[in-house]
Amino acid sequence: MKRVFHHPPEPTTGKHYWRGLGEYSNSPEFRQWLEREFPAGAAELNGNEWSRRDFLKLMGASMALAGVGLTSCRRPELHLVPFTKNVEWTIPGKFLYYATAMPRRNGAIPLIATTVDGRPIKLEGNPLHPASRGATDTFTQASILDLYDPTRSKRFVRNGKTSKREDFEAYIKELRNKFLTDHGDGLAFLVEETNSPTRERLRGELEKNLPGVRWCVYEPFWGQGTTVAAQTAFGVGARAIPKFDRADIVLALDSDFLDCGQGDLASVRAFTSRRRVSTPKDSMNRLYVVENRFTLTGALADHRLRCPASQIAAITHALAAKILAGTNDSALGSVMGSVQGPAAFGGNAFDERWITGLANDLMAKPGASLVLAGSSQPVAVQLLAYAMNAALKNLGQTLVVRQMPRNPRTIDISQLAADINDGRIKHLFILGGDPVYNAPRGLAEDKQKSLPLDWAELQKRVPEIVRLGYHEDATSMLSQWHVPAAHYLESWGDALTADGDYLSIQPMILPIFGGLSEIELLNELLGGPKTEGPELIQETFRSTNPSGDFQTAWSRFLHDGSAAHVQPRDQPSSFSANAGGPQNSWTLPPAPTPDSPEVVLTASYSMDDGRYANNGWLQELPDPITKLTWDNAALISPADAKKLGVLTGDLLQITINEKSAGGQPVKRELVIAALVSPGHADSSLSIPLGYGRKMPEFDGLPYAGGALKERPGIAEQGGFNGYFLRTAANPYFVAAGAKGIESVQVTKVGRTYPFSITQEQFSIEGRGLVREATLEGYRANNEFAKKIPGEEELPHPPPSIYTHPPLKAPQQWGMSIDLNVCTGCSACVIACQAENNVPVVGKLQVSHGRIMHWLRIDRYYASRKPYSQDRGEWPENPEIVHQPMPCQHCENAPCETVCPVNATVHSEDGLNVMAYNRCIGTRFCSNNCPYKVRRFNFFDYNQRPVGKRKIVGALNIYEEYFAPLTTKGAPDTIKMQKNPNVTVRMRGVMEKCTFCVQRIEEAKIGALARAGASPETRIPRDSFTSACAQACPTEAIVFGDIKDPESRVSKMKQQDRNYRILDYLNVVPRVSYLARIRNPNPKMPDAQNIGVASFEEKSA
Amino acid sequence: MANFFPRWTNWIPIKLVICGIVAVSGLTAATWYYATPKYTKIGYEPIQPVPFPHDIHVSQLGMDCRYCHSFVEMAAQSNVPNTQTCMNCHTQVQKDNPKLEPVRASWKTGNPVEWVWIYRTVDYVYYNHAAHVNRGISCFSCHGPVNHMSTVYLAKPHSMAWCLDCHRHPENFLRPDDQVFNLDWKPDDVKPAEFVAKYGQPHDARGDFSKKKNLSQEEIGQTLKEHWNINPPTNCQGCHR
Repeated sequence: MKRVFHHPPEPTTGKHYWRGLGEYSNSPEFRQWLEREFPAGAAELNGNEWSRRDFLKLMGASMALAGVGLTSCRRPELHLVPFTKNVEWTIPGKFLYYATAMPRRNGAIPLIATTVDGRPIKLEGNPLHPASRGATDTFTQASILDLYDPTRSKRFVRNGKTSKREDFEAYIKELRNKFLTDHGDGLAFLVEETNSPTRERLRGELEKNLPGVRWCVYEPFWGQGTTVAAQTAFGVGARAIPKFDRADIVLALDSDFLDCGQGDLASVRAFTSRRRVSTPKDSMNRLYVVENRFTLTGALADHRLRCPASQIAAITHALAAKILAGTNDSALGSVMGSVQGPAAFGGNAFDERWITGLANDLMAKPGASLVLAGSSQPVAVQLLAYAMNAALKNLGQTLVVRQMPRNPRTIDISQLAADINDGRIKHLFILGGDPVYNAPRGLAEDKQKSLPLDWAELQKRVPEIVRLGYHEDATSMLSQWHVPAAHYLESWGDALTADGDYLSIQPMILPIFGGLSEIELLNELLGGPKTEGPELIQETFRSTNPSGDFQTAWSRFLHDGSAAHVQPRDQPSSFSANAGGPQNSWTLPPAPTPDSPEVVLTASYSMDDGRYANNGWLQELPDPITKLTWDNAALISPADAKKLGVLTGDLLQITINEKSAGGQPVKRELVIAALVSPGHADSSLSIPLGYGRKMPEFDGLPYAGGALKERPGIAEQGGFNGYFLRTAANPYFVAAGAKGIESVQVTKVGRTYPFSITQEQFSIEGRGLVREATLEGYRANNEFAKKIPGEEELPHPPPSIYTHPPLKAPQQWGMSIDLNVCTGCSACVIACQAENNVPVVGKLQVSHGRIMHWLRIDRYYASRKPYSQDRGEWPENPEIVHQPMPCQHCENAPCETVCPVNATVHSEDGLNVMAYNRCIGTRFCSNNCPYKVRRFNFFDYNQRPVGKRKIVGALNIYEEYFAPLTTKGAPDTIKMQKNPNVTVRMRGVMEKCTFCVQRIEEAKIGALARAGASPETRIPRDSFTSACAQACPTEAIVFGDIKDPESRVSKMKQQDRNYRILDYLNVVPRVSYLARIRNPNPKMPDAQNIGVASFEEKSA
Repeated sequence: MANFFPRWTNWIPIKLVICGIVAVSGLTAATWYYATPKYTKIGYEPIQPVPFPHDIHVSQLGMDCRYCHSFVEMAAQSNVPNTQTCMNCHTQVQKDNPKLEPVRASWKTGNPVEWVWIYRTVDYVYYNHAAHVNRGISCFSCHGPVNHMSTVYLAKPHSMAWCLDCHRHPENFLRPDDQVFNLDWKPDDVKPAEFVAKYGQPHDARGDFSKKKNLSQEEIGQTLKEHWNINPPTNCQGCHR
């Protein structure tokens, strides 16, 4: 008889968790999706072009062909190739670890690079340095793939023709001689922010030798407003650094500080350290968020207010007025006037009680609160935030001011554009970046036509451009010289962290394609001696006056990755009373309406500003909030979507009418697909940037002087280029009534666009998967997470009829995941992909539900019942809970009992192991897995190309359906990244999370080798961890020995918030979760809707 | 009517059955014998670029395995010596021997000598030398009498069943830790009194081992297994990751 599992009934009231609008409305499509083992099409060979019949025909033909030449039956002769001479430290088959750092615009991340046989394969955070403490983020983890990108720039190019390094060196020498006579007049640099002291030093020398040089730093998401505001408020060179570990109340005004890509890891860790609640006595910080779209910060918020980005200034102003009334701080009063406009004081339907409650809460904790304004907000808002912190006595407590001077001669891209437009720039060096793609539109104005000029036009007006680029991209095509850039893992360097600590960057490998680093190029221009080693960095390091012997200090610097003697000091600081000058004032545009919404341009969680566009791991990483892969979309609130009559995937046309400075009308248009996003502010559209970056062709513009050979970029460069809407005047949001904006219109196009969204895949219906309570509710009932209602009434699980292998190993592995500190950032997903050789499957396969990630992060929206479940009625302001979901390693694993060939079995230390070479691909195990964590390799993703390929004209094919005809084998550089300790799985094999069994075995063997002739074979406590746990910036994931009561994971599992999901099935999972706790302010108007116990009816 | 079938045809079915049984069992036996690593792999002795005589280096000159295979105690792979190791001696000894020409050429050009790989495990098997040689498993157990080979040939089947033979009964192969690299070691070499003083004896042993004249492999192995807490993995993850 078939056994039917009994699930507890879903409660009819209380909290409801849902994954997407389809589920919320319980649509028939969703039901069908849910009830299938794999999503539609995933289990059938049913591509757009190929039927199963066609495929079999083709297979038959190729089998016949293979039979003709049945020649390869002999044992292949393979060779062992030792080194000729010993290589220092190298032991064949052993990993070597080196300290280095990844330069980032917000401050470098200290790293430990794992290398094997001279090639780096994995990056981990440097546990010695507080800026990482072993943690990393998605971009760091994925940057290892960028190093091996086969489409990287590999050649020197002059006027479209392949050139040589010697020719370039001769050219630079010629230039140098020219500049020495004219003092660098007409020479300009356009660079990215790398926080490199050596680059700054070389720049200083350049400015000394060539006084005419111009130096422009451009970053699309650098937060210039923050710098300007900090300098206005606290003096020249000041940088305000939040100290989250000291803050009880945090208010984020459009500030996504929990996004590691925008902020820094130390802050994320400090913030979550105050949310670790292990007993009901523990206290917890409280987070208020005001934002227009769901961000990672908003997902963790205790109170969240939806508000159009252009109106956040109004809320800030209203809040400042309340704080001014409460504190009578004169400096705050003086900057209040910097937000102007009638809409600030009326016109908005904000809940007055919300602002009052927030202001009172902030004022109740002077010196322990923190107000943060996002870098996308105007300077006036940031000044108000700093002034509020000053009024709340937070300066020196939760907000410290640090002296981190910047070179005052730095200009921004608008000034550089003006200089180019005036014809003052003759030689331009573009180091990194891709300004043709990501510079703001309308940077300067054409003098004759008084029409705005884009960067591409401006670049054509510079006679000689040298471009140091990682790819031959749009910017390279409009340059006279293209020079291949070296990756940071290929070059010597140095960088500062967000806090100003000094880090070393050492190369792990020689430049694979012979690239140059910025520092080498600058050195060449300066005429310094040619260097291949660290001489340039050593010189900078020497200037920091390390104590003792230089060589020892230098070795220590490289070994530790940082210099302890360089310590930026906090300066006691006060808010400058005359900060509220008119130059920083901001006129609030009128509130957007559904007919004329604002358009908000944000950085993408996957692509950042577009620099990772060719990274397959990041392209395929589901956005933490929308779960969209391979694409960006215009995020729109359900209410707006209903008004416009659009559903997810419908194309929208956005038209922005501007008036140029010369008074000419300018129209900017973008067609982009909509994505209905619950929790999004009404009358507002968000477009993540960084997509639509085309590598090989660029809008028909010819490569200066010659044609560029077609190069295959990554499979599908999906997405829409939102930079078309981004102007220098309105870089972050475009609202009618803001600077030069006449109107913003959004209309429905009437066509749809296919998205690959993972949000409703692998759904497991509301069965107490995420459990949460308020802090007060937890204190009242600390056992709330243990049982779900209805669980007791379920029939007792029958005894198992299978024999289970005894779990007799002395160490038993398990995992605990703290939902209270998981931000959903997805660093673990990419870390897992890098560690375990998980392939990329392409957009089409993702839409079929064939994504291969071993670890997924489920995102649940939560809202209070009852809502009408008819289509069209959405909860306005749901909450989000993220839940990482690896294989649960059930002790009574349902997958094992159905495998006909014993390919998946249990080990003595409690792992559910997978023997790939035994698997015959029946997929019974996946069918029987209650957590849906098994992945099947439908096509040979590791060996064969996947994705769309252009044949001719509009004819595209998906290469995976042509497997015997496509070239077999991954590109050589991609093979170099693979972890040699993990099998690269083939087609037709089931795979899943292994708890990083290769790390467990390495630790075991290490213990055995150390034990030698003694019985001490135990692995030391917490001496290693899984890749996901190691990467996690907040230590939400903890892995270890659950049999040892003193291990970290056992201590986590002993907490009363601990629960296992689907426990009533008696599968005994080894992964357990700690329930989410929210900390709402009972005086807030929305308090009763927040974080209510998942099952309040039963537990109350 | 005469019998349509002559009498002898009565035997046909029985003959057919017997032939069938013989053929099937023959085929099975032949496959068992000829298509398993015991037959297909053992004895594989490819021509190496340099016919390196282990017997001369080890048995005559008395070199230790670890002089050339220097990382065998630390790493998963037992490394093949690099050219530098060869040239440590061969700049002095046999420096004009024509057989050593590839080594000298490698030293001159920097291009490594490409040795033919004999003991090759498939990609999905992760064998670790360090875990074995540090725990009383000798080179001999897997590689045979290499010290008496003039050119190396594959001496053991290296099939999964063969691996499991030892993983299930390690006592048949364990030897004292100072004898791991002594390929000529025999259980009879063990002096029972010294052995028991150093390693003790199993808790369920019959009689006093130290009083015995000599110890069998099982007795030695059982003692060491217990003394060192030897517990080889027999599940998939031990070798497949």
